[in-house]
Amino acid sequence: MNFINRAIKNVSRSLTKSILLTLTFFLIGNLVIVGLGVSQASKSAKTLTRQKMRAVVNYEINYNEVYQYMDTIEDEDEYNNFKFPRITIEDVNEILMDERVKTANALSNNQFYVAEGGIDYVHLNNQQEENMAEQMQNCEQNNWCYEEPNFFVKANYFPDMIEFADGQYYIVDGRFYTQEEIDNDAYVVLISEQLAEQNGVRVGDRITVNTFSSTDYNQEEIDLSDVDPSMDLEVIGIYGGVKSITPDAQNFDWASPYENPVNMLLMPATTIENKMASFYEKIYAHYQELYPEEDWSYERESYISDVVLLLNDPLEVDAFVEDYTPNLRQFMKLNANNEEFNKLSKPLDTLSLYANFIVWLVVINAIVIITLVTALTLKTREYEIGVLLSIGATKLKVIAQFFVELALIAILGFTLSVGTGSLIAGKVGETVLEYQIQSSDVNEGEDDYYWDYDSIWDSDYSTEISLEDLTSEYSVQVSLPIIAEIYVMGLGIVLLAVIIPSFMIMRYNPKKILMNQG
Amino acid sequence: MSTILELENINYSYIDGGYERKILKDLSWKFEEGTFYTILGPSGSGKTTLLSIISGLDTANSGNIYFKGTDIKEIGLGKYRRNKISIVFQQYNLIPYLTAVENVLVAMSETDNDIPSDKKEVAYNLLEHFGIVRTKADRRVGQLSGGEQQRVSIARALSSNVDLIFADEPTGNLDTATENEIIEVFKELAHKFGKTIIVVTHSNNVSAMSDHRVILKDGILQAIE
Repeated sequence: MNFINRAIKNVSRSLTKSILLTLTFFLIGNLVIVGLGVSQASKSAKTLTRQKMRAVVNYEINYNEVYQYMDTIEDEDEYNNFKFPRITIEDVNEILMDERVKTANALSNNQFYVAEGGIDYVHLNNQQEENMAEQMQNCEQNNWCYEEPNFFVKANYFPDMIEFADGQYYIVDGRFYTQEEIDNDAYVVLISEQLAEQNGVRVGDRITVNTFSSTDYNQEEIDLSDVDPSMDLEVIGIYGGVKSITPDAQNFDWASPYENPVNMLLMPATTIENKMASFYEKIYAHYQELYPEEDWSYERESYISDVVLLLNDPLEVDAFVEDYTPNLRQFMKLNANNEEFNKLSKPLDTLSLYANFIVWLVVINAIVIITLVTALTLKTREYEIGVLLSIGATKLKVIAQFFVELALIAILGFTLSVGTGSLIAGKVGETVLEYQIQSSDVNEGEDDYYWDYDSIWDSDYSTEISLEDLTSEYSVQVSLPIIAEIYVMGLGIVLLAVIIPSFMIMRYNPKKILMNQG
Repeated sequence: MSTILELENINYSYIDGGYERKILKDLSWKFEEGTFYTILGPSGSGKTTLLSIISGLDTANSGNIYFKGTDIKEIGLGKYRRNKISIVFQQYNLIPYLTAVENVLVAMSETDNDIPSDKKEVAYNLLEHFGIVRTKADRRVGQLSGGEQQRVSIARALSSNVDLIFADEPTGNLDTATENEIIEVFKELAHKFGKTIIVVTHSNNVSAMSDHRVILKDGILQAIE
């Protein structure tokens, strides 16, 4: 008849007390499950939504910080000579060493033109094209001329692109450019399958495009006649994943050819730097003549306005930003693009906060209630404690017996509460979330897309999410970890509830305990 | 015969209404093995206090108690109660939600002494020896008479296989016939099984049948010839 047997006998032979205590634990269990279930569902909804979002982090110049710093400069010379910070390839290369980073886009965007004898762009045959053709014909008459670019160029400083890494674009034939080609300013290009098909171009063929128009700078009368605008490029890859703008698209008539995603060329950013050097030398020389008092000497330089890093796991974004932020150069920042997500998650955060509050409230109350109930129960069993101690039972065994008794009842109560608790949690969670959404000032951002087709200018790689995305992931499920948590929490409460009153009684010697009872 | 329990200069007092009330004063005594002792004394003389101290339920203010030559504080009071002695109380002190046999088994499971492996069978036999048949042994103790409960209490005391048994007014709630039966059991335990029985009582009937009668008076023990 060890302490476990005694505990089982007591529970089974004191049925009324056992049932009442089971009911108490059942009610506590329900409340804790509601709290934990709702809190867990809120966290899961956020995690699942975050997982669906692109794991992008922007490495960019912190303009606010720069301007704030500039405002503090009192010396005029110092102010004028202040060198605006720039992102360097070295900065990014260091970050790319981190195994959490999949790839990076450090893009230089350019617009190219059809060259004589070169490939033609995919036409939209819309109002914009008609207008531009008409305008080119009346150049002299209007005394002003503007040739609209035909191709959009996305040129990266790294031998991969986020669009390829996450499968938005894919290689149909050939390959992407290599680091060696970037380092050597190689004249290589990837074109869309639509552009390749229209021009009958295959991998290994060469295509020609113009890097600037003869109409550029004509207002300023800069003579660019001795600068060759054409660029002869080897097609090393044909890519898919882009769609041409269709006539049913909003503002189709006003879309320029270069805005049509299929007219997009992909090439190393260094190649463009190399080619454009002679162009800029000419422009700078002209300005030197106009403004001789200033230094207009041209020096080739990589200009990176911002870098988008793609991480392997969306859930690592926040930790990644936190890890790197303290080590960034002055005026640089990492932006996790979390603002919208955080704003939309507000109702879930509030729900989670309330749920956690309920859990703590219930746990504290449970400790008090169960300790009181146990204290009262043990008071009636002071005699038994005295008897057990008088026959030599250790205090530990006496406590262990009471713990097993209460633990058996708690486990029964909690097990019964798992089913009902999850049902209640589901209903409560949905109702409160609905109320939260209605009463909070969370408004989904207005759709600021003017165009309803893929924008070539779009450098925001963060995934657009809606409140619906978040709430659709909200589902209360009483998972095994929650059940385990309830049992651990419950048994912890039981242990506390047993230890405190037991010690209150057992601080006396057995004679005193028996006399108190007597 | 050798000494099983030796009391050496035991003092015990407590504060009552601001005054120190001395119960035991430099009390010394030796109890021998295989002997049935009764301790007599008027009400309030400190008999129960003395029994509590020598059975390790309470501690003296000063003095030493030796069990077979070892100080019981060295043995440890819990271990002393568990393995060296047993106590029979006037109120039986049985656990109410357990049956008679389960009450006996509690003591058997707590002791570290050698107990036969078929504990339940031993417990039934012990109870049967004291007149508690199996059908009664499986009843909860509340369903037994006072005499039966005391027999269960004695069976429990014997079940842990100790050499020294204390009893505090064991027949206080029993009729004369049952009292006589219990006294016979104590005599049998002392003389047949070599146990030492120390009974605190104010019953002349009980004391008359013991081997040695000792009176507690003015805080010290004195033998009655």
